[in-house]
Amino acid sequence: MAYTTFNRQINDQMKEPMFFGNPVNVSRYDQQKYGIFEKLIEKQLSFFWRPEEVDVSKDRIDYQNLPEHEKHIFISNLKYQTLLDSVQGRSPNVAFLPIVSLPELETWIETWAFSETIHSRSYTHIVRNISAEPHKVFDDIMLNEKILERAEDVTRYYDDLINGINLYQRCGEGTHSINGETHSISLYELKRRLYLCVMSVNVLEAIRFYVSFACSFAFAERELMEGNAKIIRLIARDEALHLTGTQHMLNIMAAGDDDADMAKIAKECEEEAYTIFRKAAEQEKDWAQYLFKDGSMIGLNKDILCQYVEYITNSRMQAIGMKAIFPTTQNPIPWINTWLVSDNVQVAPQEAEISSYLVGQIDNEVDGGDFGDFDL
Amino acid sequence: MPDIKLSNGVVINFDNSARTLLDALEREQLEVNFHCREGYCGACRCKLLSGEVNYINEPLAFVRKGEFLPCCSVPVTDIEIEIP
Ligand code: FES
Ligand SMILES: [Fe+2]
Ligand SMILES: [Fe+2]
Repeated sequence: MAYTTFNRQINDQMKEPMFFGNPVNVSRYDQQKYGIFEKLIEKQLSFFWRPEEVDVSKDRIDYQNLPEHEKHIFISNLKYQTLLDSVQGRSPNVAFLPIVSLPELETWIETWAFSETIHSRSYTHIVRNISAEPHKVFDDIMLNEKILERAEDVTRYYDDLINGINLYQRCGEGTHSINGETHSISLYELKRRLYLCVMSVNVLEAIRFYVSFACSFAFAERELMEGNAKIIRLIARDEALHLTGTQHMLNIMAAGDDDADMAKIAKECEEEAYTIFRKAAEQEKDWAQYLFKDGSMIGLNKDILCQYVEYITNSRMQAIGMKAIFPTTQNPIPWINTWLVSDNVQVAPQEAEISSYLVGQIDNEVDGGDFGDFDL
Repeated sequence: MPDIKLSNGVVINFDNSARTLLDALEREQLEVNFHCREGYCGACRCKLLSGEVNYINEPLAFVRKGEFLPCCSVPVTDIEIEIP
């Protein structure tokens, strides 16, 4: 019950469930109960990249020339992405590591969260480049009501799980009086919180992020903010892996061979799962309204983005065996697919735009005149 | 050369000039969703109604029973599929 960093209990790791069995002792990968997580680790490692490898300096000129309402779209989208990755960089570790029981899954969680910290660092790289006052952009995240509204739903399921685990690991099952307040917890309730948490993470990574990707790539479709799009492509490649990991977890849980309780919980929580998806889709449509409040941009407007929300929500639901909830069946922005193809994502040092390949840190101060009619 | 029969009745032949089933379907101007084209995102999931496919590389994406990923597979028999 209590967490220990090196469990002395000699156990057969191949017989542990994904979560709530023995804490992991030896980190070993010679055998895996679920080989998929080992493969995801390998793939994620092969994807490794650093934000500084992508030169975003041309974006500064593009950004300066954007009309105000497009600046708003770009920067708000970036702030939202920053919020999401702030959450994802820490929460899988804090929530899942104290309860995980398989070494390959434990390391997948750590590898997953680590890649999220790269995403967070890349936003700073982007913002520093386009703004002379990057602190204002980041400071606003904590003041912007529209973003904070989103934070609430993105973090709630994580926090419920984390609080429950703390109580359970300290006091065990039952009703406990702590600082004059009464709290109850059971293992079954914890498993329920875990299931809902993984479901909401899936929504975060498989829907919310993709809606934001659509906005990032809509600029690049017009050959604007292309450095940013290059980074977002690398992020999107990682996210595809993360959501595959989460879909596997959900499907293993629902199948019940790993932990019979989880299959029961998956059935009991069906209604709630639909609610999580529906609510997230509504919020994303709300967000689209906010993004485009002062005007649309070429190729993307509120209605198209809302259709995309419906389309991607349907397809993510079907991927985990749920029924589509929206009538939309066509992708309204098929051009997004080419931005998400992995073999087009290359970070080769010989590519001219990669700054770290250049000797020393050359002056990135450029203005439109330096480029003339030079086509990058 | 296996045939690919679509649920709407269209039949196309898979010849070896197409690397994957996804390539073959696109060549016929059929719209199939895709992202990674490498078997790890699951975006291209289609229904396999009958027949058998082989994966060029074992995909990482979750594939439920009765589904397959055209981006990283080739048919080994005649197949019947449904594109969502
Ligand atoms: S396109 Fe990603 S799995 Fe097929
Ligand atoms: Fe991320
Ligand atoms: Fe992620």
